[in-house]
Amino acid sequence: MPRSRKSPILATRRTVLKSVAAGAGLAAMPGFVRYAQAQSSAPIKIGFQVHRTGIGAAYGRWYDRTTTAAVKLINDAGGINGRPVEIIAEDDGTDPKRGAEVVEKFASQHNCDVGYGTLFSHVVMGSAPRAGEIKLPYFVVSEGHHVASGALNRYTLQPGITDVKSQVKSMAPFVMGNLGKKVTMIFPDYAFGHDHRDFFSAAVEANGGQVIEKIAIPPTETSFTKYFPKIPRETEVIYHVMVGPAVLTFVKEMGEFYGPNKPQIFGFIDSLEAVDLNSPGLEFLDGTYFWEGMPRYTQADQNDYDKHYRAAVGVDDNGASVSDPKDVSTFAHMFGCWETLYVIKAGMEAAGYQGPQDRAKLIEAIEAMTDMPHSNEHPQGAKKFNGRTHQVFGPQYISKVEGGKLVVQHTTAIEDGFYPDETDYTTQSF
Amino acid sequence: MAHVSSEQAFVLLLPTDVYITAGVAAVAMTVVLLGFLPARWTLAMFRTITTRGIDRSNWQEWTSTASFLVLAVAIAAGLWGPHNPLTNPLTLLVFTVWFVVLLPLFAVFGDLWQWINPWTGPHRLLTPLLGNARPLKLPRWLGAWPGVVLYLAFACFYLADIAPDDPERLAVIVAAYWLLNFAAIVLFGEREWLTRGEFTAMLAANYATISPFRRDAGGIATGLPGHRIVSAPALTVSGAVFVTSILATGSFDGLNETFWWLANIGINPLDFPGRSAVFWQNIGGLVASCFLLAVIFALCVWIGLRLAGGGVAFGEAFGRFAHAIMPIAVAYHVAHYLTVFLVSGQYALVAINDPLDTDANLFGLEHFQVTTGFFNTRDTVRAIFLTEAGAIVLGHMLAVLVSHAIALKLFPNARRALFSQIPIALLMIVYTLFGLWLLAAPRGG
Repeated sequence: MPRSRKSPILATRRTVLKSVAAGAGLAAMPGFVRYAQAQSSAPIKIGFQVHRTGIGAAYGRWYDRTTTAAVKLINDAGGINGRPVEIIAEDDGTDPKRGAEVVEKFASQHNCDVGYGTLFSHVVMGSAPRAGEIKLPYFVVSEGHHVASGALNRYTLQPGITDVKSQVKSMAPFVMGNLGKKVTMIFPDYAFGHDHRDFFSAAVEANGGQVIEKIAIPPTETSFTKYFPKIPRETEVIYHVMVGPAVLTFVKEMGEFYGPNKPQIFGFIDSLEAVDLNSPGLEFLDGTYFWEGMPRYTQADQNDYDKHYRAAVGVDDNGASVSDPKDVSTFAHMFGCWETLYVIKAGMEAAGYQGPQDRAKLIEAIEAMTDMPHSNEHPQGAKKFNGRTHQVFGPQYISKVEGGKLVVQHTTAIEDGFYPDETDYTTQSF
Repeated sequence: MAHVSSEQAFVLLLPTDVYITAGVAAVAMTVVLLGFLPARWTLAMFRTITTRGIDRSNWQEWTSTASFLVLAVAIAAGLWGPHNPLTNPLTLLVFTVWFVVLLPLFAVFGDLWQWINPWTGPHRLLTPLLGNARPLKLPRWLGAWPGVVLYLAFACFYLADIAPDDPERLAVIVAAYWLLNFAAIVLFGEREWLTRGEFTAMLAANYATISPFRRDAGGIATGLPGHRIVSAPALTVSGAVFVTSILATGSFDGLNETFWWLANIGINPLDFPGRSAVFWQNIGGLVASCFLLAVIFALCVWIGLRLAGGGVAFGEAFGRFAHAIMPIAVAYHVAHYLTVFLVSGQYALVAINDPLDTDANLFGLEHFQVTTGFFNTRDTVRAIFLTEAGAIVLGHMLAVLVSHAIALKLFPNARRALFSQIPIALLMIVYTLFGLWLLAAPRGG
């Protein structure tokens, strides 16, 4: 696994920038443009690897809606390089082996220009190596740390959603500064929970706090009353990341255990993504805090980008479908599809992308990207892309439950989520 | 990454232990009451009333041919149509229309599959060309085992294959299956093969046994659901195993998602690795379930015979009592696929609106958005759960009643009939508990 950070990054990126500029200059010449237009009435094909069936289906439905909405806007505005965008969606069954087959189909059967849209980490891990082998640019929307960790390859990028490591790291200063310094963590006892345990423990210590107890819950557990007495009395903050069908039971039982005198509680919205916060049993969450990838509820100071995004996707002020207010979206994650599609568009335009022969140029163009301003294209907030690690960084939102709604208390700076590079994909050859 | 399962989350908050106790008690009470009910009352419940029939002219070959054409178009759509399995006409036709909707309808309205299966029509229309002679005879000793094998192959595909919904893959398999069975019909004869080899016709016929209606020689025979079972002739051993396999696969396709099962095969239910990681576990579990249920049921019948003092051949008793499994199998079907129906049914609407993914808007549903909002509130989840649980309980109550009525016909006196039912009734009470537990158990995967 390449973890070298001493490679001549600057030189590499300058070279890349120069070649991109050259490409753009070439495209600007009148003769070239005519040629490009004549050649390119065919659509740009984006292979959408979507979890339509299997455990990711609920996310897949909303990733699909967001993708459809973004592509419609892109096409209404003239497409990419004057060519319409066509989405070729294939179900991966939320299965890694099937995921690899789907990636293969994109390239060999559908002649897709790029692959895109994968959420579940195990599917990313199963598919990305194949994308690297067949040299298909592969844009994941997964929030896993797998891209930035160096575990994948030059053809795999995550430019539209931040990774869990930076999310957790950027939460810590707020938690330490406002909620308390003595933390008890409650997490499911497997990789997902362990990532939170490790990333957050480190961040707490770096911010002068202390994790005084780590309570690992076996994944098959569905009743939690016996774990709550393990929470030390001096705990000031409980950090929880429970997931799965027993989440509501967990919250209900924690409420019964504490009654009205609870410590500060901080959680990740992943636990309750697509769940109505006004559900019975969740009253106990009132006054507690959550990380949100993007604020589910329209805030008092809503900006135009958020308004534009909700209207296009068909999501109301509570983060639910406009056609069924009980159909709560996966709001904290699905913006990643939208933003990734706009990154692909910007990358193809910068690279003067014409067809599969320009795939390497496309990757170089995206690696050369740095700042992405808060805009209709990036409604979640401004971003900074790290071309070496292929990972984007952005703001995170800390919200408090007030009257059954999440109200943003703090927006982190992009830099709060930075950590030292763990890889440099630009040193890998195409 | 979290698995969104709000329906499950709400089910875990419901007082399911109360529901389960009440459901099991209802079935147990049925058993007890039957002990006191005069035999003629029990038999009277399942009396058949025949009314004069409608026009008997046979349109089967035309309806079946129409159905064949629909299938052919759907196969084409599978190969060349939308890649989305949720809106592809073939995937919807096979797994939503036929499997989830039509099969339970046969249990209500009788064996309509005789009219709309895709083989009868083409075969009869081609008979003048192919001739009436059947080149081969399906050996008697084979019984219905070809049907059992094909059904199990289907169940394995449905439960264990990495992408059974994939339209292209499904198109190839359905086309091959149609051809294989068409060839078998030509070789062995329509009647033989559709009752002993082709599993969809066998499924339909078995589901239809609990229908209140049946087309008889004299017209339409009507009675309480199950009336046809009470007077039905014994199934062969293979036919009886086909029936126990229907229930066993229905049960396993529920069990395999529970935390209990996943923990036992070493899978973290919160981090399900995908179907490809549990392929052999699913195959093994499915085959083992079918084997176990057949053996357990046979054992119950055998012990029942001993308790009743013998006098009836085991094969006869096994073949008669196996019919009584069908009400439970249909109940499992309804309970297990209700939620699939609620979601896939919406996708079917989307697909009908734009069948070939050409942005057509045939029924003005262009802006219809599929919702799963009813999984997000306690009241709707409770209504769904109680509907499923109600189906399970009613299915078992009917099974207990029907089985008792069969015993009354099989044994010379009510006392011996009652004794023969003790093990079967106990099995059905335990199976009620199992079925309700399955509905309430936490699921992953």
